[in-house]
This record gives sequence, structure tokens and C-alpha cells, in this order.
Amino acid sequence: MQQGGNNNEAFSLKTRIKRLKRDVNKWSVFTLAIVFFLALPIIFIGVELFSGPGETWGHIVEYLLPDYIWNSLYLVFICSILVLIFGVSSAWFVSRYDFLFRKQMEWLLILPLAIPSYIVGYAYAGIFDYGGSLDLLFRKLGLEFIRIDIMNRAGLAFVLSISLFPYVYVSARAFFLNQANNLLEASKMLGVGERKTFFKLMLPLARPAIVAGLVLVLMEVLNDYGAAKYYGVNTFTTGIFRSWFSLEEPQTAVYLSALLICFIFALILFEKWQVRKIKFTSSKTNSTQIQRNKAKKPIQWMIFLVVFLPILLGFILPVAQLIYWAVITASTVFNMEFVMTSLQSFAIAIASAIITVLFALILIYFSKWSTLSTIKNISRIGVLGYAIPGAVIAIGIMIPTLALDKWLINMLGKFGIDTGLIINGTLLALLYAYAVRFLAVAYNPIDSTALKVDNSIPDSSKVLGVGNIRTFFKIDFPLIKTGVFSAVILVFIDVMKELPLTLILKPYHIDTLAVKAFEYASDEMVMEASIPSLFIIFTAMIPVIFLNKLLIKK
Amino acid sequence: MKKLLLAVATISLLVACGNDKKKSETSVTEETTKDQVVNVYTHRHYEPDQDIFKMFEEKTGIKVKVINASADELIQKMKMEGKQSPADVLITVDAGRLSRAKGEGLLQSINSDILEKTIPAHLQDVDNQWFGLTKRARIIAYAKDRVKPEDLSTYEDLVDEKWKGKILVRSSSNIYNQSLLASLIANNGEEAAQTWAEGIVANMARSPKGSDRDQVKAVVAGEGDLAIVNSYYIGKMLNSPDAEEVKTAQQIGLFFPNQSDRGTHINVSGAGVAKYAPNKENAIKFIEFLISQEAQQVFTEANYEYPVLESVEAVKDIKAWGDFKEDNLSLNKLGENNKKAVLIFDAAGWK
Amino acid sequence: MLTINSISKSFDKGKTYALENVSFNLKAGQVCAIVGESGSGKTTLVRLIAGLERPDHGSIAMNNKIIASLDKFVQPEKRKIGLVFQEYALFPHLTILENVLYGISKIRNKKKKAQEMLDLVGLSDMGKRYPHQLSGGQQQRVALARALAPEPSLLILDEPFSNLDTMLRTQLRNEVFEIIKKTEVTVLFVTHDTQDALSVADEILILQKGKVIQKDVAANLYVKPNTLYVASLFGSTVHINKNLQNAFRCPLKQDCCHAIRNEKIIVSPSSAEADCEYITAAQVIKKIQLGDSTQLVLKLESGEQLTVMTQDKNIADTIYVGFNSKDILEFEEE
Repeated sequence: MQQGGNNNEAFSLKTRIKRLKRDVNKWSVFTLAIVFFLALPIIFIGVELFSGPGETWGHIVEYLLPDYIWNSLYLVFICSILVLIFGVSSAWFVSRYDFLFRKQMEWLLILPLAIPSYIVGYAYAGIFDYGGSLDLLFRKLGLEFIRIDIMNRAGLAFVLSISLFPYVYVSARAFFLNQANNLLEASKMLGVGERKTFFKLMLPLARPAIVAGLVLVLMEVLNDYGAAKYYGVNTFTTGIFRSWFSLEEPQTAVYLSALLICFIFALILFEKWQVRKIKFTSSKTNSTQIQRNKAKKPIQWMIFLVVFLPILLGFILPVAQLIYWAVITASTVFNMEFVMTSLQSFAIAIASAIITVLFALILIYFSKWSTLSTIKNISRIGVLGYAIPGAVIAIGIMIPTLALDKWLINMLGKFGIDTGLIINGTLLALLYAYAVRFLAVAYNPIDSTALKVDNSIPDSSKVLGVGNIRTFFKIDFPLIKTGVFSAVILVFIDVMKELPLTLILKPYHIDTLAVKAFEYASDEMVMEASIPSLFIIFTAMIPVIFLNKLLIKK
Repeated sequence: MKKLLLAVATISLLVACGNDKKKSETSVTEETTKDQVVNVYTHRHYEPDQDIFKMFEEKTGIKVKVINASADELIQKMKMEGKQSPADVLITVDAGRLSRAKGEGLLQSINSDILEKTIPAHLQDVDNQWFGLTKRARIIAYAKDRVKPEDLSTYEDLVDEKWKGKILVRSSSNIYNQSLLASLIANNGEEAAQTWAEGIVANMARSPKGSDRDQVKAVVAGEGDLAIVNSYYIGKMLNSPDAEEVKTAQQIGLFFPNQSDRGTHINVSGAGVAKYAPNKENAIKFIEFLISQEAQQVFTEANYEYPVLESVEAVKDIKAWGDFKEDNLSLNKLGENNKKAVLIFDAAGWK
Repeated sequence: MLTINSISKSFDKGKTYALENVSFNLKAGQVCAIVGESGSGKTTLVRLIAGLERPDHGSIAMNNKIIASLDKFVQPEKRKIGLVFQEYALFPHLTILENVLYGISKIRNKKKKAQEMLDLVGLSDMGKRYPHQLSGGQQQRVALARALAPEPSLLILDEPFSNLDTMLRTQLRNEVFEIIKKTEVTVLFVTHDTQDALSVADEILILQKGKVIQKDVAANLYVKPNTLYVASLFGSTVHINKNLQNAFRCPLKQDCCHAIRNEKIIVSPSSAEADCEYITAAQVIKKIQLGDSTQLVLKLESGEQLTVMTQDKNIADTIYVGFNSKDILEFEEE
């Protein structure tokens, strides 16, 4: 068996090492370096795990952990259901039916993403409060006010769902618009009715897209701090803050984060598993014009109401409440300093969006060029930051940056240069943290558009004698532009809204709108928090609308 | 396509501006380090504080640089920053955190006759590591129509059977509740405190949530009869821009518990000089200014806190509640017992 | 010019092989076709030669210089190989002219050269258009122009006609190879279609399950196929299995595999008229008229079924079929 000999030899250790030596290139090394850089905070948290939990770990397990687990499961479950109902129904109607104001609805449905969920939480508390807007309305109408208590677990699930459902809406709609047309026509030809087509055909096929959106929602749900704290619901994340700050045990906080991370990884694995089960996605998008059903007038109105409801609940009502508060408090809050804060927020968000997108591009393309298949897998570690609560990332960044700063101060001190902290407490640390936290937000849209570009296209460029980097700028980038811009916009919005990480790492004299809003709210000045909140919403709204245009073009 | 290009252009322009701004900012920092400056880590994010800082800047020419965050986060930050910490002054809204910071070795003793003489002994640290700036009392707000003030007496009495399903109080993650329980641990012992916490949980009208203001609203809405709240929130509600809030606050009565024994639990918002303060002199000047007549006036007028400077009169709304007997427990105890309090809360199931 | 020396490539760490121990040579100026079914490893071979994959074993040399081996790897952009992909892979955001210019941006007179290439493929006025505005055949020719512009020493065509319908296919194939002949480039032409290979290739290499089965000139492949698979690639072939051997009473060598080409099977109305060594009677079950000839489905005396072709129009219900021993193809048993 001469051939067998060859094969054994081909995968003997010696040849493997030889090949490794041949195949390791600068891209592999760069990728590894970048992954290490991005994973550094996570690694430091991992290292902390070895030093054991704090003294109160037993206490937490005994009294609090069941509550954390139970509440988090409850939120995951209820939010999944609500988000699917809101997200999938609106996506289906908007992409398949023609009705009044459909075009406007299409982008209005994304707008809830512009409001941080804790602000939606404040607004709803204000609406349902005693002496709140609903109460006043009922009194004006001369009705008895039946007060609904929203500040509980169910209320929190509602608030989180209504502010996060657009993640599912966006991914489901993208599927219905791009992939579904041929299948729908086939289904129609077979004489299958609209309802059956939806439940038997479209829903199972759209599942990977929908679940991908859902996983994003659930990560946000589990990472929420502001709303859960305000509504008095104990979750893993509030527990992390409690054990870190109230019990003064960062190690215990790290243990809780590790548990939370396991929880989230279970979700991610679930997603991967269910996508693997149906692998059908064709990379070719449909060019045929979508034929929307034109229903009769009364049905059109019903569809209108179904689609309008999440917009009303997720955007119009909370914004109206905020505007009402803003009008009351405008004179005390609005001044020059506030304008500066807005500008700073904006500049920080843009800068970090661009940096994060650059990291994502580097990670995606360097690992592609590195030819070692394991590098591609390793590169995905860099994306894990999204699964980790902002506060935990902040700890993970403070540890190494401070160590580095101390080392630098020592080194430079020898030459008589007094620098102070160079990285920690400066914009650098903050931008670094945002990049770690939001890399996945940039990575996914870019990666998915990059997958749509057939490999043969950059390959042709290489065969034609053009190297990797020039190929990227001349061929790949023009083809994935929409993905890159979507990524910039998504990160921008997320940074505008980000709270816990910013609270901990932000430098002197720099304030973001989110921090301002939280400060007011945590000092029981929810009304005063309305103006910074509205500013976040309006600065985030413009790119959201822009994003919608990009998605439709695709 | 053109729109995209336009967007890229604007974005890059903005980034360029952003960069410029960053540069100019760093250069400003460099310049000001030569100038006089005081770096303040504060948990107080109240608008009036800004005015006080400005007054200080105008008076002394020392620039005040502020980083706002919760005291817990600030303490963690200072711990991690160690010797390199730029913090000069730490301001918190409760004594517990200050004595915790002291325990962590983050503060230093300072000699200031002004501070020593002006601030009552029980409102400052024995080692002069921190000083109270303003006082707030943790009191009981009750529904005037349902509760006779005669039935109220002490914090301890709140666990009585008669208040079953009537008590409203916020989450145990709130430092004011932690300090109240810490004072009970100091006064009555750990076991009694545990029984008390369990008793309150048993009497709660609903699971703890929302802010102190929300508790007051819930009393008026009829969800419960009593709310344990901080005094200055009532002052703020009475002066709220929202007419509904004013109306709500007017409907409740205030009761200062334990007047016949040790007095009502009070807490302070206070300040200390950081151990590694780069601008120690300025830090002392700054804290001294905070207890000056003019600053104290702003604290009480704009934020409805009780001044620590006796010569300053409390604002009208607060004065109307009358004088009351304070618990003279050394506030250091609040810090010492804080962690115990948190553990007792958890064990008692106080969310 | 191109020397492939015992190349192996596995995508699952040696569990299965996309290519196993593949070796062959290519002479300069030759057109060599690689024929195989999908999954036979054709595309992997192409990608290895172009430098888009790296071999797990063996070496590839071009003009006596190693371009890929266990310790050497020349980047695809340095190999000077022209490659036309199955899906053309034109750059959708560039015009036709820009596409052709892409690989020759460093040479002088590039504009002139690019226009010459477009003239060569007959798309002189299409330079300003974008790929999606062109028909499939036109895109194909652009891809060819683009690949030829840098004057590669080796041109690889990876299933270039499989996306086209049959009519266009033959026409385009002839056009493309006419163009190629003008350039005198060495060509490696990958296809699953034997017609394509037969009509243009000097030599044909048969790939099956990652292994080279045979490499020879077209005539030899027909006359002396190495395996039954190769035989059936170049004309319909009947495997003479044990049952057929019994039916025709022709005992053949054991441990060997035998076959007979369909056109060598003789059909005649009577046993006397048939001029063959082995013969048997058969019943006609089904007649299918295929233009000039007729396809017959037969049931032999022994009960075996057999499909044959005949030019004869008048077929009785019972006929005789047979063949001669000189026409029997013999292979080693697989």
C-alpha cells in the first residue's frame, strides 16, 4: 500500500510541523495578537476565577442565587415570547402586505432600538405611576383609574421586550425580503393558503434568522442593569453589581459573571445547533420584485393596528412621556454644558464605532488570509465580549491597563519623566472597552455580507497578481460597504446607549448623555433625566433611519 | 451611493473634529496641572453642587474637576488606581461609604481647625479622615387619612403585627437602607437587627422596588400606609416641577421615629481627602469651603438637606417639619456594620 | 512546464482525501483536459495549482521551479497563472474594461493592451458596461480576456461552460479555444463533459475520487481504457458480468472485469446471419426511436435484460444478439 504510506506520512507529526512552518504567515500572527488584545479583559477575569470566590459566595448561593437564576430564566422565557410575537408579526406584515403607511412603519419599527431600555423603563414607570400620565388622563376623562403596577418582573419583561424586539424584526424582515420570494411563489403555485404558508413554510425556514436576532435580544436582557434595578428585580447583572459594590467582593462578582457567561454560552450554542440543523440559506439574493398582497380595507386596518401596536408601545408612548417631562424640566437642565455633553457623546460614539469596525474588519480578513483554519476559529474568541456584562469588562480592563500604566510610570520615572496614568481613566481605556464590548455588533453584519461575496471574486484578484491588502481595498471593501456602514451605525447606537462600562471607565470632564440620564434617574430625578434621554434618542434615530435604508437596499 | 459617500465624508470630518477636541482637551489638562486644581470624585450628582463648585473656583482660582459615579464604583476605582490615583477629594452621600473608604486606606487624616470646630463631633471621623457636609434623616412618611401619628413610635415598632401589609420601602441594595440597618445593628445588636429585617419583610405591602419618591407615591395611591424615606426627597417633591408630585407630597404626613429614646437615624453626605491626593492643600481648602455659610446655604436651599453648619437656617419647607432629636451614634459604625447589614438583608429575603 | 508530484489534499485532517497521490506532467503549449464527476477533486486540483489551497503532501513545480511543496509556497499573486472560474467571478463593481485592466495595472500601455484583449474576445464596444449588463456568454469571454491580459504561462479554465445551455456551449467552446490558440498559452481545462474534452484537448486526464485513473490522448482512452469507468465515459458500455457471461456462454478470465461497447454488440434477425463468436436469442421488450437509430430493450433467454442500439428499422419480436472476443475490453478487477 504505497498510497497509504503517503497518507500516513501526510498527517504524521513531522509533516504537520513542516506544513505549519510553511503556512504560518504574518496574518496568522497579527490575528492572534489582535485576538489576544481583545480577549485580554476576559482572560484577566478568567485568571481571577482561580483565586476562588469571595467569603460571601456561600451566602449568595444560599439566599440570592436561586432568585437570580429564576428571575433570569423568567425574563429569558417571557421576553422570547413577546419579542417573537412583536418582531415576527410586524416583519411578516411589513414585507408581505401592502397597507396604509407601510413605508413609514417599516422604519418606525426600528426606532425603539434608539431608546436605551432603562429609559423605556423610567418612562413606563412614569406612565403607570400614581399621579402619572395615565392617571391624569383617566381623571380628565372622569374615569376611575385602575392602577396597573408595572414595576415588577412581568413589567420588566414587557419593558425589555418592547424596547428590544427590533433586533428580531430586522433579521426576520431581511429574510422575508431577500430569501423568501421564490419559496412563496412555489407555495402559492401548490395552492397553499397564506396562513399555512406562513406557519408551515416561512416560519421554519426563517428560524435561523429569527433565532439569531433573538439571541441578541436575550444577551441584552441578561446584561440589563438600569431597568432591572429600577424595577426591583434581582438578576445576575444586578447581583454582580451588588456583590462587587455592596459586598465589596470583586471575586464574587467575577464568579457570578462566569455563571452568567455560561448561561449566555448555552444560548449561543443553542443557536449554533439549531442553525446547523437546517442549512439551506442560499447566498444568492432574489432579484425579483416582491409582490405584496393587497388586502381588503378592513383587513388592511387590522394589519395596520397589529404593526402599529409595537411602535406605539415601544416608541411613541415612552417618547411622549419623556417629552412631557422635558417640557417641565427644560429650564433647569438645558444649558451650554449640556450641549457640550451631547457633542462629546457624539464624538466618542463615532470614534469608537470606527475603531470597533476596524477591529472587526482586521479580525475577519486577517484570519481569512492566514490560511490556517484554526486561526479562523480562534478569531471568534474576540467576539465574546458582547456576551459579557459591561461592568465585568470594565473590571477586566482596569486590571491590565493599570498594571501597564504602573509599569510605564516606573519605566519613564527612571528617566525622570512624570506621566501619571496614561491609559487608565483616559479615552483610550474607554475606547478599548467599547471595542471589546461591541466587537460582535460590528463583526456580524460585516461577516454576513462578506459571506455573500463569492470566494472566487477575491481569488480571481489574487490570481491576477494583486496581493491581499490591495485586493481588500479594490475588491472586497467596495462589495461589503453596506455591511461596514451598518456595522458603524449599530456600534454608534450601542455606544450612545451604553451605561455601566462608561460609568466606570469614563475620564474626567467627559460626560456622555447616557451617564447624565442615569445620574439624574439614580438620584430620583427621573423627570430631569428626560432631556438627555431624548437627546440620545434623537441622535440615535438619525442613523437608525439611515440603517434602514441600507438594509432595504441590500 | 452618493449619499453613502457623503456620510463617509461627514463621519470622517466629525472624527477629525473629535480628534482635535481630544488633543485640545489633553493640552488643557497639561496646562491646568501647572495651574491650581482639585480633582473631586463625587457621588453627589446634584445640579446645585455645580453652582457650589463654580463659587469655589471664582473665589480661589482653583479649578474643580469632577468625576461623577456611585460611591461604590469610585471606591473601587481609587483602590485600583492606588498611588497613581488623581483623586484629591472623595464625596459620598452616606457615612458608611466614607468609613469603608477609610477602612480600605483610601483617605488620610487632615488637620483643619475650621472643619474640626464647625462640624459636630458625631458627624465627623474620629481620625479626621472624613467630615459630614449635610444631614438627611431616614423618616416615616404616612398616609394622613389612614394613620394616626400617635400610633407611630420607633423603627422597632414597625415590625408590629398592626402594620402587616402596610409598609413600603425600597430595595436593600440602597445605601440608605443599609445604613439604617447598620445603625440598628450598632444600637440593638446583630440578632435584633436580623429579627427586625425579617419583621419588616413580613409587613411589606409589596416587594421592594423603585425609589424613595415612588414609595411616597405608593402611600398616596393606597398601596400601603407607611413609607420609610429620606427627608430631602420629600423636600424635593414639594418643590417638584411636576404639579402632581407636589400634590402627592402634600398628602402625606412625616414622622421622626425614636424621639423618646435615641433619636431618628441620620446620615450625612460627607467628604474626605484621598490618601494619595496630588493637591492636598487645595483639597482641604475645598472641603472647608463646602461647610462655609454660602455653600451650606445652597445645600439646604436647593437640595433640601439639613446643613451641618448650625448657623445656617434650614430652608422653609424643612423647618416646617420642626426640630427633632438625632441619633448621636458615631457614623463610623455605619461603615463598620455595612457588610453585615447587606448579609442580613439577603438572609431576611429583603430584595 | 507544469509538474505535479504525488499531491495529496485532505479537508478533514486525513480522514478522507479530496486528492490522493496525484502526479502528472504538462508540456508547454499543450491543451490538457481534466475530466471527472463533481466531487472527483478537479476543483481542488485547480485551486492547488493556482495557489488558492496548499498541498498536504507532494509538490508542484512550474517551469522547473517549485511553487508549492511541504516547505515552500509561492503566493497565488506571484504565480502568473490565468484562471477562469466556473462562475466567471467578474468584479461586479468595475466596468468590463476595468475588469480587464485589473491584472495589468503595472504594465505600460495597459489601456491599449486591455482594448486589444476585448477586441480579441469580440467585445470591443462593451468596455464601459458593467458585468450584470452582459449575457452569460459575454461574461465568459470577459473572464477569458481578463485572465489572458497579463499573458500567463498557464491558463486554467475551471468548468467554464457548465453554466451555459447546450447550444451556446458548443459555439462558445469553439470560439474560446480559437482565441486561446492565437495566444499559444498552455491550457488546463477542467470539465465534467467528455464532449468538451474530446473536442479541444491534446491530452485528457481522468480523475475519479481524488485519484488519477488515466492520462492519455483521446484515441487511446477509447481503445484502451484503464477501467470500466473510463470506458463508459467515452461511449456507452455494457459490463459483462457473470450472468451475461452465462447468457452468452462465454467463459472469461476470472479476477478481471470485462465490458463491451454498445456499438460493438451485433444485432441480427437470425443466428445464422450473425457473424460473432458469442450469441444468444432475445425478446424485444421495448423499442425507442432515437432519430436515425433505434434503442432496443431486450430480454435474453436467460432472463437478463440488455439495452442495445441498431440502425435496422425492421425489428422482429425475437432477434439474436452477440459480440466477438476481439472487442471485449479487459480491466483489472476493481
